[in-house]
Amino acid sequence: MLLGRVVGRLWAARQASTLGGRKLLLVQPESASSARGGGAEAPSRLIVAVDGLDAGPGDRVIVAHGSRVRDLTVGADVADKDVVIAIVDDLEIAP
Amino acid sequence: MILGRVVGQVWATRRDPRLARAKLLVVRPHGIYEPPLGTRHLVATDEVHAGIGDDVVVCLGKPARLSLDSNDMPVDAAILGVVDRVELDPAGLTDAGAAPGIRRPLVTGVGR
Repeated sequence: MLLGRVVGRLWAARQASTLGGRKLLLVQPESASSARGGGAEAPSRLIVAVDGLDAGPGDRVIVAHGSRVRDLTVGADVADKDVVIAIVDDLEIAP
Repeated sequence: MILGRVVGQVWATRRDPRLARAKLLVVRPHGIYEPPLGTRHLVATDEVHAGIGDDVVVCLGKPARLSLDSNDMPVDAAILGVVDRVELDPAGLTDAGAAPGIRRPLVTGVGR
């Protein structure tokens, strides 16, 4: 799994039926040091994740990847293998 | 499986119900893996009572789900052991004589 920050939401008027009605979030993966507040690191690619927990922009989340994870959470009929599985309340990173 | 060090812990109230009792730790994979993971960390469930500063063995993918009392955990990484000691042949870490299975791409599956 990865820690990430929800930086936005994605809407698409035309989309495949396998994404129909799913809430899609843009997640910026965080490094452990940037999560601690240690400054910006090299930006990594944004992830488009399916939201199963009602997360929103600004939330720090944990994203899991894989078809089995997808099957277990949002359902086997969804065409996205990145799923938000937890919304972070608190985070402790060793200095 | 990969070797890494626990650098943090995550608390989350809103989470998938199957993760209700899982302890979530932040792990920094050791530098022997190339190329390094883009974010230089991953989040793994812990069932061996690891703590910050411990070196651990992290299992990725399907075997990580076969943990705890359920084989249907929606996770892709799990800490399966706390490392007491590691022996590494430095010669095996060079490109030329790379030890099989060590100097290989670190694949976590997220964000591919």
